[in-house]
Amino acid sequence: MAGQRRGFFCGSLDHSLSRRGFLGAAAAGAATFATDMTALNVLQQPAFASELKKQQKRVILLWLAGGSSQLETWDPKPGAATGGPFRAIQTAVPGVQISELMPKMAQRMKHTCIVRSLNTKDGDHGGGAKLMMRGRRDEANVQYPDLGAVLAREMGRVDSQVPDYVSFYFATEGRGFAPGSSGFLGARYAPMELTQSMIPENIRRLADINDLDHAERADLRDLLSKQFTQGRVNSTTSSHNEAYQRVRGLMSSEKLFDISQEPQKMRDLYGPTQFGEQVLAARRLIEAGVPFVRVARAWWDSHGQNFETHQEMVPELDHVMATLLDDLEQRGLLEHTLVVTLAEFGRTPGINASLGRDHFASAWSATLSGCGIKGGAVYGKSDPTGNRVVDGQVGAAELFATIYRALGISPTKNYYVGSRPVPLTEPGTKAIDAVLA
Amino acid sequence: MASANPDQLKLARNLNSKGILFGIARLANSSRAFVGSSDFKVYEVDLTDVKAEPKELGAHNSYVTSVAVADKTIISGSYDGRLIWWDAEKRSQIRAVDAHGKWIRRVLATPDGKVAISVADDMKCRLWDVESGKMLRELSGHKAETPHHFPSMLYACAVSADGKYVATGDKVGHVVVWDVATGKELATVETPVMYTWDPMQRRHSIGGIRSLAFSADGKQLAVGGMGKVGNIDHLEGKARVEVFDWQKGERTHEFPGDKFSGLVQQLTFHPDGEWLLGAGGANDGFLQFFNLKDKKVLRQEKVAMHVHGFALNEESDTIYAVGHGKIMVYEMKA
Repeated sequence: MAGQRRGFFCGSLDHSLSRRGFLGAAAAGAATFATDMTALNVLQQPAFASELKKQQKRVILLWLAGGSSQLETWDPKPGAATGGPFRAIQTAVPGVQISELMPKMAQRMKHTCIVRSLNTKDGDHGGGAKLMMRGRRDEANVQYPDLGAVLAREMGRVDSQVPDYVSFYFATEGRGFAPGSSGFLGARYAPMELTQSMIPENIRRLADINDLDHAERADLRDLLSKQFTQGRVNSTTSSHNEAYQRVRGLMSSEKLFDISQEPQKMRDLYGPTQFGEQVLAARRLIEAGVPFVRVARAWWDSHGQNFETHQEMVPELDHVMATLLDDLEQRGLLEHTLVVTLAEFGRTPGINASLGRDHFASAWSATLSGCGIKGGAVYGKSDPTGNRVVDGQVGAAELFATIYRALGISPTKNYYVGSRPVPLTEPGTKAIDAVLA
Repeated sequence: MASANPDQLKLARNLNSKGILFGIARLANSSRAFVGSSDFKVYEVDLTDVKAEPKELGAHNSYVTSVAVADKTIISGSYDGRLIWWDAEKRSQIRAVDAHGKWIRRVLATPDGKVAISVADDMKCRLWDVESGKMLRELSGHKAETPHHFPSMLYACAVSADGKYVATGDKVGHVVVWDVATGKELATVETPVMYTWDPMQRRHSIGGIRSLAFSADGKQLAVGGMGKVGNIDHLEGKARVEVFDWQKGERTHEFPGDKFSGLVQQLTFHPDGEWLLGAGGANDGFLQFFNLKDKKVLRQEKVAMHVHGFALNEESDTIYAVGHGKIMVYEMKA
């Protein structure tokens, strides 16, 4: 029991759940996944965990900000003039090779599909980042929600006490290019953005306010809000109020972010880098029911010394991503969790005078691992030099449709902006069936 | 040796080549040189004939990052971790050795041509018997990881004129001088300015010690790289050279750079100590001459390519610089 107790966030048995109580609640459909931090403890017990897991799908987006090179990761071209110095290595999937900088992922390719034929036509950091976070371009009068906001809406629970959308982006470069955006969905689905601290700032109740005061202030605010909104019902005010209604739940979720709660052995597995620690936090969050977590690893914009930069950063990506997939698999979460690697674009096959690669959106790669995905699949093909797509060209819309389908969400589902129906992806968009399980 | 005068430096000719050339080594008292290319191949070039096609000796399995001449034997090193011995006369391969577990950055030969020296990103320096190809000694001591938990790299090495000392320099600015006879670490010097870790904006690093050179008497050790960098997406730090009296552990000279940005990829002392020559670049390249006696920059010349390496002739009055697709021949005859 000591081991089980160690997993309790406050260490109190008061927060433990009985098997009967939990399963009863699950059967009633009233508590099918974590509602507070005690759920993490529950997840350590296989019988409970299975009840939780079968309901909930989740996404971890590894956002490779600045644009990682497809040639030094998922689509190597060894021997080509554009190929760079690194070799390709055979993966565990016959016929599939990736860069030698990713030996750990090479052994885990059965979980991952590679899309090698992205042509997204935007080599600008800002434009590319918005496009690849939202799957489409804004219109003059419509700001679209990004992937995290849509999935928060689709996979989060109305009464969730954990955040629906968390974004880690500590590096300052590029953060402003693709801030989390809930667009027309409103503030209810906006991300909890962490930019300086692993644990949300200002989440704690002020020391000079006791819990009763806090609750009474919330009641007063609620009363005033209801009076204000009488006769003024619109999406903005209701979204605002929904956000406040979740405050007390979110305040109790602080320890979800605290990786010191993890056994040291687990922390060692993810490693000491900031990216490793944030991905471990992401796993804790999705395990507790957070539907979408973005972990941004910046900054890959290797205009000079591309190969040195990738020698430094790709092994970290390889290690952390492989550790994440192992961890999810061992917890039985991988089949319910989609892990995405994505950036605003890739990098030029041409090698510049500084041994760098520049911005390139014409033939680059993304990966999908886990939930709903045909592991080991490779979709699309770039030419022998990596300069253009020769088979299976897709854009952001197709990739997003594929993500939605992998999660069991119809890409044609409509939201409504006023009375205008707006489908999740642009009309006529087809998901990439070949990579879907 | 007064035949070389940096004031007379001028571009004499360009020789076209294939791919990006990372290293060059001359066969003594000849116009023959050997270069390593990004097309994985080692070529022989005639430095006097602008129309001559490079002659291929053979290929590695990755970029050929360095070439050394040991008497009549050519030794090439590559990102594939292999050293290949070539017969300069027959233009044929003698042997290939799986020399390192990671990417080989530099290969040298002792002046007597008997020992080859290689450094690689497995953070090892290895000494090789040129005749037999057997490893003689391994010099190990550079840390495999940077203080920020990322892989370090061992970019540079140099050997003293008497062959007694080898210096090695890594990514974080740590230099070790080794006793070749015993393999013992004799001294260390530090050039931390040459390593830039960006903890906030971009969260990775750039830089490292890219070049080392002993003075003719072996007492001075020059270290080349790049100063601190603001935007590490680019090679925008100033080209930087520091010189040490390594036996005393004292830095005697600091040339922080003013005119050119980028990495100092190679350094060579004039045999009589008249100057120290550094070359390198960012998008473009440079040649820099330093007067150590007066602690002044003698001359700085822009080069229309990033210079990855160079060789001098016997008179030290001609520079054969290699880079992106060509060999540029500079003369500075007195």
